[in-house]
Amino acid sequence: MSAEYPDGETSEVNLVTAVRDTLAQELRRDESVRLLGYDMGPIGGVFRATEGLYEEFGENRVIDTPLSENGILGTAAGMAMRGQRVVPEIQFLGFFYPAFGQFMYTVSKMHERTGGGFEMPLTVRVPYGGGIKSSEYHSESTESFFVHTPGVRVVCPSTPAETKGLLAASIRSDDPVMFLEPKAVYRAGTQEVPEDDYTLPLDESRTVREGSDITVLSWGARVRHAEAAADQVDADVEILDLRTLSPLPVEDVLDSVKKTGRCVIFHEARRTLGLGAELSALINEYAIDRLQAPIKRATGYDVHFPSHQTEEAYLPDEQRAADAIEAVMSYEY
Amino acid sequence: MAKWTESKPDPDFSQVLAPDGTVDGDAPVDEETMLRMYETMKVSRRYDEKTLSLQRRGEISILSRSWGEEAIPVGSAAALEEGDWCFPTYRQTPSKLYWGGPLDRSLAGLMGHEPETIEEHLPVPDEEALPVNFSPVYIPLASNVTNAVGSAMADKFEDEDAVTLSYIGDGSSSQGDFYEALNFAGVFDAPAVTICHNNQWAISVPAHRQTAAETFAQKAEAAGIPHERVDGNDVFAVYEATKRAVDRARAGEGPTLLECVTYRVDDHNTADDAGAYRDESQQAFWAERDPVDRLEAYLRSADLIDDAAIEAIEEDADERVEAAVDRAREVPADDPARIFDNHLQSESWNERHQREELRAEQRGENPFTDFTGEGL
Repeated sequence: MSAEYPDGETSEVNLVTAVRDTLAQELRRDESVRLLGYDMGPIGGVFRATEGLYEEFGENRVIDTPLSENGILGTAAGMAMRGQRVVPEIQFLGFFYPAFGQFMYTVSKMHERTGGGFEMPLTVRVPYGGGIKSSEYHSESTESFFVHTPGVRVVCPSTPAETKGLLAASIRSDDPVMFLEPKAVYRAGTQEVPEDDYTLPLDESRTVREGSDITVLSWGARVRHAEAAADQVDADVEILDLRTLSPLPVEDVLDSVKKTGRCVIFHEARRTLGLGAELSALINEYAIDRLQAPIKRATGYDVHFPSHQTEEAYLPDEQRAADAIEAVMSYEY
Repeated sequence: MAKWTESKPDPDFSQVLAPDGTVDGDAPVDEETMLRMYETMKVSRRYDEKTLSLQRRGEISILSRSWGEEAIPVGSAAALEEGDWCFPTYRQTPSKLYWGGPLDRSLAGLMGHEPETIEEHLPVPDEEALPVNFSPVYIPLASNVTNAVGSAMADKFEDEDAVTLSYIGDGSSSQGDFYEALNFAGVFDAPAVTICHNNQWAISVPAHRQTAAETFAQKAEAAGIPHERVDGNDVFAVYEATKRAVDRARAGEGPTLLECVTYRVDDHNTADDAGAYRDESQQAFWAERDPVDRLEAYLRSADLIDDAAIEAIEEDADERVEAAVDRAREVPADDPARIFDNHLQSESWNERHQREELRAEQRGENPFTDFTGEGL
């Protein structure tokens, strides 16, 4: 565990439990924290990320709303303008589209258009991504929409311990945050997580492993596949978990690629104008004379997220990452 | 059958002040409030005249005016109390004027200044903060109503007794945000009052193409919240209905939708040409119902104003507006780097880098010379 984490007692928890524990911690810590969303009351949310919180904190702190994504985000924005620290939940990223009006008009813009006059301390929690064999609109990874929007942070943890520190930091931040929870790893594994409060910086990547031959840039549920790929290829792979997708930790990315001279970007979103396109462009603009090979993007394809019988073919896995790494490693000018 | 016709609405609405300026019984507000309402409307008219001339001269790019609809923002704002909140869209400048809103800042905004520049050069000292809180004016239709209901929900959850008032037009009632807002307001018993200016036209589209509902007020039925229909050119009726709704909200009895029936005397905005799509022969009908003339007639009959007082009020309005224009014009040009301000609470690499690029461009230098990411 990195030195960023506090000493003391730990508990072995999975990612969704880390979400729940952090929400409980923040609800206890600050009276102005309120959660709102659909199904989050007695049932504890579709993924049980708010299980028990309704009972502990009551209906005015853990607010079951009508089924209306734009209504959830719009009223959350109004509450945030009035000094509440609001944590709306949208059940799936693919259900976010009705909320885009409020996201663009008020959530991301109110602070700027009032010259800093109104704060928007709001953290939108959204389970995102594929790999759970769900139905249509339940597996989207459209993070580019949010990264393209100024005035909002986009945060994406990949481990339980990261989740706790990043979610606490997001809730305590006065900026609006899109907090993308990789639901494919909600219950994929456990980790010792410190029980004391802590936050992690919202503008830094995490070096998953250091290496000297090639940099793999990834985030969310794909990080574990990147690690598995690194174990199987004949190369010394450095893996950066970006963990903050906006603003991008550009210096971390450039430092790593300048060191290794090669780069693979590994994400599950569609390729065209996916975040990999921006990362590749940045490296091209600021580190081209250090590159020993073209950058490759191992990503999803430019299709709507497929049905669950075919989603494995769509999702970039360990093998696709390994193939990209090997291709880049074998390239010679 | 719809109760409005884009010309002469069915007068099935509450009215206190008749078009000829008479009141059956007592006026609902005291003399001081009546005069404040009247003075606010006069300042608003002067402001509307002045801003139109500024727009014609190119000092303001586009403008939507309150002309003919002043009774709605003034009557409703007068029903608020210190600590309440107001979420306006355009055409509600008089609401803020009623509570002492500074004209110079509004003008500087219309002149295109960044809010940071306005704050720096036309600051409002804390001791001059308005008793009623105003959100910025919203442009995307009906998005303010949903935020306003969130504001009211916050007060409900915090056990505060403040009320949040928001405004929309008849066109905005076709937006999802409108229904979402009313639905949340109803479910959470939010102390939220929503006022719909039914001015019968949403740019070029008439009310009967906006909805097949009999009235706009009845749209609240679907959200299970009370509603009223009011003569929107009658400042006393608007005040009374808003006061009822505000009192109900403050007493914990939940939200209300008010439909204020009026007519958009003017073009939608300065880019519009209403003559191209509507029969302007109705103007005479509406001129007889002008909200300012109506209140003026009442004040004269009650011996509260005379020609000399009206002249003094008009002179004062003229001086206030001219002084505000002078102050707004003195605001210096924005520093272009202001465009980077107030996006996120801390600086990012991209922000730092793009600031450098802009500065280089401003200096006439080539901003594309960084090939390492370490800066220009």
